[in-house]
Amino acid sequence: MNLAVLAWKSAKARAGTTILTVLSIAISTALLLGVEKIRDGARSSFEQTVSGTDLIVGARSGPVNLLLYSVFRIGDPTANVSWQSYEAFAARPDVAWTVPLSLGDSHNGFRVLGTTTRYFEHYRYGQKRQLSFAEGLPFSDVFDAVLGAEAARELGYVIEDEFDISHGLKSASFADHKNRPFRVVGILNRTGTPVDRTIHVSLEGIEAVHIGWNNGALPIGRSLQPTSNDVDKNQLQPESITAFLVGLKNKSAVLRYQRDANTFRGEALSAVIPGVALSQLWRVVGTAEKALRGVAFFVIAAGLTGLLTTILTSLNERRREIAVLRSVGAKSRDVFFLLVCEATIVTAIGAILGTASINLGLALFSQQIEIAAGFPLGEFGLSLYDLYIAAGVILIGFILGFLPGWLAYRRSLSDGLMARI
Amino acid sequence: MLGFTSFLCQLKCAVTSYQTLSPCVHIQDLNYSWPNGAKVLSIDNFSIQKKERLFLHGPSGSGKSTLLGLIAGVFAPSSGEATILNHAFHKLTAAARDRVRADTMGVIFQQFNLVPYLTLVENVLLPCRFSRARAERVGATEQQRINKARELLENLGLQEELNANRPAAELSVGQQQRVAAARALIGSPALVIADEPTSALDADTRDTFIDTLLAEAKEAAVLFVSHDASLSKHFDRLTAMQDVNFCLHKKTSPTCDNAHVLAET
Repeated sequence: MNLAVLAWKSAKARAGTTILTVLSIAISTALLLGVEKIRDGARSSFEQTVSGTDLIVGARSGPVNLLLYSVFRIGDPTANVSWQSYEAFAARPDVAWTVPLSLGDSHNGFRVLGTTTRYFEHYRYGQKRQLSFAEGLPFSDVFDAVLGAEAARELGYVIEDEFDISHGLKSASFADHKNRPFRVVGILNRTGTPVDRTIHVSLEGIEAVHIGWNNGALPIGRSLQPTSNDVDKNQLQPESITAFLVGLKNKSAVLRYQRDANTFRGEALSAVIPGVALSQLWRVVGTAEKALRGVAFFVIAAGLTGLLTTILTSLNERRREIAVLRSVGAKSRDVFFLLVCEATIVTAIGAILGTASINLGLALFSQQIEIAAGFPLGEFGLSLYDLYIAAGVILIGFILGFLPGWLAYRRSLSDGLMARI
Repeated sequence: MLGFTSFLCQLKCAVTSYQTLSPCVHIQDLNYSWPNGAKVLSIDNFSIQKKERLFLHGPSGSGKSTLLGLIAGVFAPSSGEATILNHAFHKLTAAARDRVRADTMGVIFQQFNLVPYLTLVENVLLPCRFSRARAERVGATEQQRINKARELLENLGLQEELNANRPAAELSVGQQQRVAAARALIGSPALVIADEPTSALDADTRDTFIDTLLAEAKEAAVLFVSHDASLSKHFDRLTAMQDVNFCLHKKTSPTCDNAHVLAET
């Protein structure tokens, strides 16, 4: 029975306070690791929302705003891009491909994106991964729709189901584009990006439901709206789009293309490089994350202070116990290490428990957390960072043990053979 | 050559006989002052012979506890010599004195002798955790040591408590003192220091406890400290603190700080 065993038995004898101390260290460790894991997951899924696109071009606005509405489908564009401008920029010789995006309608809270089939070929996410179909095919008819995985799951739609889309973004919008049912022709595989929550239709489909809506509202007194049979695909050239994605033949042309778009005289446009805008946006989002991280560190500090308090409080009641150990031959430095051992053991159990429980918890509930958070959190699992943090917490516990250890050491020198209490 | 060998043998014999004759505790011209400078102990000569049972008598504040701390090696003399079981404590480091205590001494306090979270046997075997030499004297294996501890506890009349496996904290004061005695006696120490071990006991159990302790400690010198002079009948020799500590005589030792001595309780 060495000092560690003795320290362990002593801690066990004061089970009540020891368990509370272990719990507070476990909870604070779990909190710090949890914050870190969710932050990492959020950042990586965030940074992988769009890849393989060289530029995003939209109406003049800040890069973050443009990124938010074009990629994240959050917020609204300030203005549209005219079809002429789009065609001009799409026709440049340095362009490999462009994908027009038209937003503004929704279905049951899911954004409807008007685009072309090139979207399915060129949109990339993660490590340049292409969109793939779980079922069905890209849209080919005006009223065909392709659903993101999450949209299909939540709406419960399968291939051949029909649905209406609403003008605007409210899920219970009164201005429904009635009599223009869209038909599900394809469902995408899960990507972990906003694509999952998007309903994709053709640009012509968006145009078709807006025939007669020139004022931007339901035409008054027009009860009969054209059905799909009335729609002539050739007349559905859109006048404007929301934004477009650009892939260039040569990446070195990015800055020139961006400058040309930003200084375009025909219309006020903004072109942003997705990576740059994503990191700018992350800086905004990251402030909250830093605050959270700071709070987590303070919680750790509070947990470890609790440990110190518990051990220091126990010192008085253990004065006799320490005197007994001294009388049977314990050296003063044994007394020191006994208390350091105790602090280390309690911290180690807490840190290991916290690390294990956060990893287990996230593994068990990752699905629920992802749904609640609205974005995938990436791969969970015991990371090297976890081990560093756990080891760091244990190290701090070990060092904190020096204080009660030193106090008991000093006292054991002056107490003599028998502690007088 | 033969003559030289026989000379060596004679020398060895002389050393051995000196060691046998040398006292268990020998204190010479010793002074002890507290860290604040107050001198509380001044001893010209104090000895305990091997296997001697010494009753040290003195009121509170006479420096008894300080003397015990010096003999046990918890304190170091400020000046002078303290040779305990052939170890010059005035020259040894604190850790070395702690080792001598673990190896060769048994200590019994007035009360609160036990570590409450350890079992009776674990309490008795505590000195073996701090001294390999002592552990080996008790038994070669852990099981042998446990058996030895049980045997000792049974001899001290704790059979029932041992079988009931009661935690140390639940024993009566008298039972706790007997466990403490078993711990002090485990591994045949050369010196047993008992600091008022019976003051928490009632008169009936007091004499029984002392008889049992002395019977079990046949091979050891026993230094028994008490303010109750009626207990001295059990011992070979009685010494009063007044005759040991010259700090208690202000006239003969004006350098001593009596106020501090008497404040020590």
